[in-house]
Amino acid sequence: MIFLYIALPLAVAAVLPLVGKVSKKFLPDLMANAVFFLLLVYAVTGGRQLIGEGPFLQKLNWLGESFNIQVAVDGFSQFMLMVIALICLAVGLFSINYMDHYGSKAVYYALLLVMAAGMNGLVLVTDLFQVYIFLEVAAVASYALVAYGLQRDELEASFKYLMLSVIASAAILVGIALLFGLTGGLSFAAVAEGLRTLNAPLAVGLCAALFLMGFGLKAALIPFHAWLPDAHPSAPAPISAILSGLLIKVSGVYAIVRILFNVFGLTPALSQVLMWLGAVSIVVAALLALGQNDLKRMLAYSSISQVGYIVLGLGLGTPLGIAGGLFHLFNHAMAKGLLFLNSGSIQMSTGTRNLDEMGGLARRMPLTAATSLVGSLSIAGVPPLPGFWSKLMIIMALVQAAEWPLAVVAILASVLTLWYYLLIQRKAFFGKLEERWEEVREAPFWMSFSTVFLSLLIIAIGILFAAVIKTWIEPAAGVLGQGAGAVIGLRGF
Amino acid sequence: MSNAWLLYMAFAAGLLAVGIYCLLAMKNLIKLFIGIEVISKGVSLALLASGLARQNILLAQSLVITFIVVEVCLVATALAIIVNIYRHTNSLDVRKLTKLRG
Amino acid sequence: MVLQIILLGGLVLFSILAILARDLIKSAISLALASLCLGIIFFRMNAPYAGVFEISVVAGLITVLFILTIALTKAEGDVRESRAALLIFPLFFVAFLVLDILVMKGLMSKVPALAGTPEAGGLKFGEVLWKQRTFDLVGQVLVILAGVFAVLALFRKRNKDE
Repeated sequence: MIFLYIALPLAVAAVLPLVGKVSKKFLPDLMANAVFFLLLVYAVTGGRQLIGEGPFLQKLNWLGESFNIQVAVDGFSQFMLMVIALICLAVGLFSINYMDHYGSKAVYYALLLVMAAGMNGLVLVTDLFQVYIFLEVAAVASYALVAYGLQRDELEASFKYLMLSVIASAAILVGIALLFGLTGGLSFAAVAEGLRTLNAPLAVGLCAALFLMGFGLKAALIPFHAWLPDAHPSAPAPISAILSGLLIKVSGVYAIVRILFNVFGLTPALSQVLMWLGAVSIVVAALLALGQNDLKRMLAYSSISQVGYIVLGLGLGTPLGIAGGLFHLFNHAMAKGLLFLNSGSIQMSTGTRNLDEMGGLARRMPLTAATSLVGSLSIAGVPPLPGFWSKLMIIMALVQAAEWPLAVVAILASVLTLWYYLLIQRKAFFGKLEERWEEVREAPFWMSFSTVFLSLLIIAIGILFAAVIKTWIEPAAGVLGQGAGAVIGLRGF
Repeated sequence: MSNAWLLYMAFAAGLLAVGIYCLLAMKNLIKLFIGIEVISKGVSLALLASGLARQNILLAQSLVITFIVVEVCLVATALAIIVNIYRHTNSLDVRKLTKLRG
Repeated sequence: MVLQIILLGGLVLFSILAILARDLIKSAISLALASLCLGIIFFRMNAPYAGVFEISVVAGLITVLFILTIALTKAEGDVRESRAALLIFPLFFVAFLVLDILVMKGLMSKVPALAGTPEAGGLKFGEVLWKQRTFDLVGQVLVILAGVFAVLALFRKRNKDE
């Protein structure tokens, strides 16, 4: 039952505040993480069946009457479901310890579950307007979660995030209204069919531009990135992890890619626009990251940069490029999630995010240091970690397509990335142990558990990358490569 | 038929421009919230206009109703944040919120 | 049609007044009037359900929330909007109007005449909402939950051990 991806978090979220009155911490912890675990198991096992049978549509039946609830799963959706479930589980486990002192844990988990339901819904629907609705669901939950600590910084960041997000939503909706007026349909299939026979390049171009602006803002591509460097650092660490690791990719990259590839069809012009947006993001964000001495802010700029890589690979449009982009999406979700969770560990133990104040923490927090190293090296693209393979694929795809300037940019930026990540490692973990950190303790059990779990997974995927690419990435890339054909004529449609 | 569609879209665009200008230029937090409201009006108008153009006004209405529901939840969250900001800084001036640079 | 254009003009006018007004209460009233105009426009577009929703929810509920917030945040001094922003606005708006009209005129020749999809055979509105757009309702439930939890989270009592 595909609908379970949405129904399960929804149902548990609805009862969680009531449960919270009875048991303040234990039951909410247990229930929320159980849901995430079940979702992960379901996503991973569901994948096997999918590979065998191909994409399918599910209509819901209730007491004999058929409701018009259509959810469709294809390679791309299944891949995203798996990534979402994985990071949500890691974040959920981490929150068991980290969110102890914030209060109202049940409501926190309820918001987290609603966000998960929203993201799952986003990747499962087959209709433009429903993409918007689930996007807003996840967004509203995220505004509250960013502001969760109720400190001044968090409130300010959340408010600015909200303001810019409203503009994004407006752009997306106007695009949807225009497409509805031009083609008369809202579902992917209807709009794709309508666009084929339509001859209004100016209006369609306007729609594409509006979508790029709206979803680009959600994905924090330059020049729409202004909210991210404030929102991600100020939010509580697990929320930063889920925002950087999931939300910008699901509501930003997935949505724009799904719509541009499967509904509009990737034209050379669109491809160039995407690639250059990606390239600009890579460079500008990497340069901006260098000047920071707040750990989480540096990680936030790095997120913008890496999303640039993802969009660059996907925008290229060749099978290798798409596969590289998707693999990088997966790697970055895991690695950046891991790094933000670690920043939470550091913040909890030392009370600071300022890199200049840290030093030599490796001696007192060995697990955090080791997992941080794994995450940093993966993003920076050091073999045998998976980040190396995904970046290599993107660069090779660029070379194959003879996009020389972009390939050079990608390689140089990679060096830059490696530089500032090593800088983080050196400043925070290695070097002399400052006096005031003599008494610092390692992170509590669940926090360490989730970060170790993620880092072990990263290493495993780095070694087994060929298998991962074959089972997860290739079906997803195949769907995108099919263009509009993937949504028209879905089995059961 | 398309003339009417374009007329409505022109007004919707006007509303959107006014709303976005408000979000970018105004300094009072609650005024910013009004900007959000004006943008919503523009969007609802655009959605219904498209529905009218395709002679499928019923579908457009359900879209607009759903959108209004989403708006209300958004507004409730935004106002909750504004009230909390007020409790911290005792003012509604967005110029006081310049700690973060972006 | 003429009445429609007058109403549309009124809508834009009241929105602008809501933004430029000094006093927040006047802003609230102006916004509610704008919603009223929009509701009537919806009625004349043959969209009664949307009109009712617009008037009752936006002109009603949101205005109430708005006034509630104003009551909760009685600021010490008024926030002075920068004069520049208020003066630049008319210029900006006129420039935008001109651009808008030119673009629309240009598009009129480019956008093909829209064929109307036939009205789905005499369906009632309720059926459209429940049968055709059922999933939207799931989305609505989710977003309402999100809003409720958000408010719960943002107004929660702080524990002593923060």
